[in-house]
Amino acid sequence: MKKCFLMLCFLGIYVVGFSQIKANEKLIYAASYNMSGLMTQLAQVSMHTEMVNTSKKTYLHLSWEAETVSKWDRFFKIRDMYETYVNPSTLRPSLYKRSIYEGGYSKTEKYFFSTDGRNVNSTTTKKNGTEIKKTINIGSSTQDIISIIYKLRTVDFSKFRVGQIISYTIVFDEKEYPVFVKYMGMETVSAGNLGRKECYKLAISSRTDKLKGVDKNLIWLTADSKKIPALIRFSIPVGTGQLSLATASGI
Amino acid sequence: MRKFLVISSGVFATLGIALTILPLGTLALIPIGIALVLSFLAINSSKLNQKILPKWILFISAITFLVVIGKVVFIQDKVVSDKQFEQKKVESKKEDIKDLEAL
Repeated sequence: MKKCFLMLCFLGIYVVGFSQIKANEKLIYAASYNMSGLMTQLAQVSMHTEMVNTSKKTYLHLSWEAETVSKWDRFFKIRDMYETYVNPSTLRPSLYKRSIYEGGYSKTEKYFFSTDGRNVNSTTTKKNGTEIKKTINIGSSTQDIISIIYKLRTVDFSKFRVGQIISYTIVFDEKEYPVFVKYMGMETVSAGNLGRKECYKLAISSRTDKLKGVDKNLIWLTADSKKIPALIRFSIPVGTGQLSLATASGI
Repeated sequence: MRKFLVISSGVFATLGIALTILPLGTLALIPIGIALVLSFLAINSSKLNQKILPKWILFISAITFLVVIGKVVFIQDKVVSDKQFEQKKVESKKEDIKDLEAL
């Protein structure tokens, strides 16, 4: 599941000046894994957005949660949370959190992005309670794994040519990763309760061994103003899988 | 030949039962299908007094097949509400607000 999320992190930024992401949006996906040629549903992934107010600022809270379906809980329980608090206009992150529980393994990460965008103060807590603090130097446009996905939804792909690539940087597992997003054209795919939708097909790649194959990690964004991720296919060293949109509300 | 068919159909039927118990969806249909074919061939190649065992394997494979289909049709893949996880989310959000106030 971690790798599934990592695949999603290899998505880019294309700043258009304002955010198209609404608060109170809820997207629910069926996460399936390819077992001997058959896609078997393993988990449910939920993406939520909501506004959060502090005494000083207003943030857009973006969160992803993954939970195994009940029949898998006894065999390999997953309870993952990925969250980020971003500027509602620029989607620039201030606080990113990752809390994973995968078949007995657990880890928590918290990243504070500096206001000048030049470094991240990270705190990693492992299952045995060990806490590791680090300061990571980053580029000024480096995003976290969650906000980058929402940033991608602000890109105007209607002006892209097939094969056109955009490249960006994300910070994950206390490292910066370069990310490449290739526009592959238009395709119609099933988008859960939204019906069949015409989508922008994008291939994601990066200079890392965590993703496999050429143009095998794909995301389909609905070709409308919402740009909802309708289908995500990933290919990682241990197999292939997909996230298919089941329900979208508040969009 | 009959011995091979009976043993291999028994092995595939056992594998089918194991995969049916595990939450592997329709993957169990592959060994079950093979067990059905092999046990049918074993019945055909057996003498009248040797048909009992392959018939049992065929019967068990057929029952397992119905169980897999029944699970797919009648049991929905859904997430059960996890109170501990829900509580963790609430606490996490409170902690985040404190952290954001401190920024």
